[in-house]
Amino acid sequence: MNLYTLRDLSKRYSRGGEAVTIFEGLNMQIAQGDFIAIMGPSGSGKTTLLNMLGGIDRPSSGTIECQGERIDNLSEARLSKWRAAHVGFIFQFYNLMPTLNAAQNVELPLLLTKLSPKQRKEHIATALDIVGISDRAKHYPRQLSGGQQQRVAIARAIVSDPKVLLCDEPTGDLDRVSADSVLEMLQLLNSKLNKTIIMVTHDPAAAKYARRELRLDKGRFIEQESAQ
Amino acid sequence: MRQTLAVTALNIKSIPQRLGMSLATVMSVALVVAVMLGFMALTNGFAATLNNAGSEDVAIILRAGSQAELNSGLSRDDVVLIETAPGIVRDAEDRPVSSAELYVVVDGIKRSSQTEANLPLRGVEEGAERLRQGFTLVEGRMFAPGAAELIVGEGVGREFQGFDVGSTIRLGSNVWTIVGKFSTGGTVFDSELWTEAGVLQNLYQRGASYQSVRVKLDGPEGLSQLQDYAENEPRLSLDIITEKQYFADQAVGMTRLISAGVALAYIMAIGALAGAWNTMYSSVDARVHEIATLRAIGFSGGSAFIGTMLESLMLAAIGGLVGAIAVYVIFDGMSASTLGGGFTQVVFSLSLTPSSIISGMILAIFVGLFGGLVPSIRAATVPLLQVHR
Amino acid sequence: MNDLTLMWKNLFRKKTRAILLLISIMIAFFIYAALFTMNGALNAGVQSAKANRLVTVNSINFTVSLPFAYYNRVKSVEGVVDAAHASWFGGYYKEPVNQFQTFATDPEAYLNVYPELITSPEERAAFINTRDCLAVGRELATMNQISLGDRIPVMSNIFSKQDGSRSWEFEVCAIMDYEPETGRDVPANFALMHYDYYNEALAFNRDMLGWIVILTEDVSVNDAVSRTIDEMFANSPYETETSTEAAFGEAFLSQLGNIGLMLSLVVGAAFVTILMIVGTTMVLAINERIKEIAVFKTLGFPAPRIFRMVMGESLLLCFFGGFLGIAAAQGAITLINPVMKNVLGELSISWDAMGYGALLMLGLSLITGLLPAFSAMNVRIVTAFGKH
Repeated sequence: MNLYTLRDLSKRYSRGGEAVTIFEGLNMQIAQGDFIAIMGPSGSGKTTLLNMLGGIDRPSSGTIECQGERIDNLSEARLSKWRAAHVGFIFQFYNLMPTLNAAQNVELPLLLTKLSPKQRKEHIATALDIVGISDRAKHYPRQLSGGQQQRVAIARAIVSDPKVLLCDEPTGDLDRVSADSVLEMLQLLNSKLNKTIIMVTHDPAAAKYARRELRLDKGRFIEQESAQ
Repeated sequence: MRQTLAVTALNIKSIPQRLGMSLATVMSVALVVAVMLGFMALTNGFAATLNNAGSEDVAIILRAGSQAELNSGLSRDDVVLIETAPGIVRDAEDRPVSSAELYVVVDGIKRSSQTEANLPLRGVEEGAERLRQGFTLVEGRMFAPGAAELIVGEGVGREFQGFDVGSTIRLGSNVWTIVGKFSTGGTVFDSELWTEAGVLQNLYQRGASYQSVRVKLDGPEGLSQLQDYAENEPRLSLDIITEKQYFADQAVGMTRLISAGVALAYIMAIGALAGAWNTMYSSVDARVHEIATLRAIGFSGGSAFIGTMLESLMLAAIGGLVGAIAVYVIFDGMSASTLGGGFTQVVFSLSLTPSSIISGMILAIFVGLFGGLVPSIRAATVPLLQVHR
Repeated sequence: MNDLTLMWKNLFRKKTRAILLLISIMIAFFIYAALFTMNGALNAGVQSAKANRLVTVNSINFTVSLPFAYYNRVKSVEGVVDAAHASWFGGYYKEPVNQFQTFATDPEAYLNVYPELITSPEERAAFINTRDCLAVGRELATMNQISLGDRIPVMSNIFSKQDGSRSWEFEVCAIMDYEPETGRDVPANFALMHYDYYNEALAFNRDMLGWIVILTEDVSVNDAVSRTIDEMFANSPYETETSTEAAFGEAFLSQLGNIGLMLSLVVGAAFVTILMIVGTTMVLAINERIKEIAVFKTLGFPAPRIFRMVMGESLLLCFFGGFLGIAAAQGAITLINPVMKNVLGELSISWDAMGYGALLMLGLSLITGLLPAFSAMNVRIVTAFGKH
């Protein structure tokens, strides 16, 4: 069953008065439960594509459907709601709030739900447990290593139980060991919790963790089977 | 030294990046200095008006214990006795240079508020002009003896309506013609209306009573001669002091009241200090990387300290200047009036003196100095490792 | 955790900055509250004025006296319920510098036209019936350590007796208080003496009075009563001018100068200062956080909620700082009360001052918060993340 259906998708913008086309007439389907690594050179539109899948950027033309619902023409307010309910984001630089501790950072998406404080606590505990960082719940981001911070970020992404995780270079700022453990965790979330994961990465080693790799070049996909 | 100059230049060049905050600091210091100088201009103007009025060689004679002209009362007999006293300058015809005076408080309409305010309508004798230094008629003529005519001080004309030369004015049930305007060079007498003492006694049922006698003292010994005489004359019970002393005593209360305003400015300065601190803090914050880089390539912590401090001092000094200029342009020379010691209006001009400008600038520099202190220390102690962030 | 926690944490993200901002806001509100209270105390006379109380004075000026015979003529004017006359005695106690404000009056009539002036029934009767009785206001008595039953001399710096003495002997047989009004305690810092006791001994200025205070039937007859009285004495050597107590008080206050304008300028300067400091700092603070705001948006926080959170920071800052400032002013006023209460009365920050203060806080937070809140709300996620 398809989670995402992209039809005839184009993205253009102007830079210094010059029209730049990132991709044109892109068609694509993403199945539920998939784990895709999107690779490609800088400027190939990887992040732009991810942003559009996450509903924080819009195509210039074409449509994006998620679970049969078009998201490319939703209002800003509807999109906010949609994002809160359906997607979790994981960024290269973690993007944790420096003023909040790990548990509070994980709690942020729950502020958009109607859960009671007690239920919220349970959700936070579960999420922190899944990423294996329960013992650091009261630590502030500056007291955590990069790998630990990224785990907190993952916990934040899954705490409201979204179907999709969108990861933009999740290991780009990590050493090999931390990177591997983060990627193993994503694999686990995909296989055990059935999260659909779409990951943009530069790193071929990271891409190997995905079920399949897509190479984006000059606005076109070149599919490559993953090692698995 | 070259280091410091280079760092300061970098600081100052980066001000436009924080234009909003820097302007806010300049303006807040300007406002603090303006409040302080505004109050000082009020105090100085008021004090100057009273102090200039008081002459060292004129004595003012009141009934003992009365403290102010308004409370005092002297009879014709008292006046005659006083005029024969030693210590008083006599003219060519051997008449004492003196003026027995009384005043009635009358209502005038203030231009600014359109409300009634007390004005002294003073009845004077011939000697009065010679007892006020710098007395000149600037318009019209002197009042004629026996006529319901009066001359008005310049200050009255400025602050009150209806006192133009040539017009008539009704004070109580009497109608007066204004025949002249006089000036004593901005002293308290410019806030008075003058007529002949006898006319005033007549029209306002004062019989032959006076309130004060002013006399020209004959040399430095004049005052004590006069006091000794009054002391030994059983028919007289008088207080005799120099006019200078008399007005100095009156200025005290008012000056104290206005000084409270300067205290307000000090409190406001703490607020501005917080603002300056905040701005300098942001300035250092925005340049942590740059400062660390300079330190890494060998600039000293001291130059970073001084650079930041100079930026702070410069902003504060500009603010101080802006405040002083604003007060000078808006308030200096502005006419104001208040209730003086004689229970009548004293018209005075706000005056910004060089010494108050200096006090204002010192306050500004203090704000800059203390506002910049902690941020400067922070700039000097930026960890070198910040260069890698 | 809720939005308030988030706002609080954001506000204090840079502690030094937040504290400095709080200090400057606090100082502005301190100045505001202190001056508002001071101004209120100066205007206490105007505010406590009764609408149906009139004052008749000599039209030349209120310091010029009127013939005593005017009193009975004024009392008989239609619309006048009661009237009392008073004369300025110019008293001092012991030392000439120690002013002892004393009026010579008809005790019963005076207490009738000033019902807010209260004493016990026994003292009231004693005052009315004893010729050499002095009724002393509570604050004046405290200041001079005078108590009921004392025999004291009060000197005049204006008048003397036929025997040449300037001292009048009194028995203190009543202590007067002002009925406390809502939120303000006007000091009773004057004394009252019998007019007869004063007048009979005078060496000069006998059978004259200073002014007449009148109670009318109703506010609606004020104009008619004033006109009747002033016309009655027109073209005599002593013309009169009758106005309401409030108008008389206001005119007197305005003689001091435009105090209201002066205070407004100072408070205005204080507020313009913090407006600029807080305003520019809030803009800066939000600019530093564009990326975090983008994360909030990405997580699905809707724009209005982000607007409210940033606005809330301004509100929190201004109200917190504002109330601290007002509290500090109350503290300062409590400190000076023992010194000033005999002159200005027991001061405290009124509900009015609080109310207008809260409006000022609201206004300040709106002005300083709206711009940052709008720019936070309109942060474009993709652009914000583009800035690495």
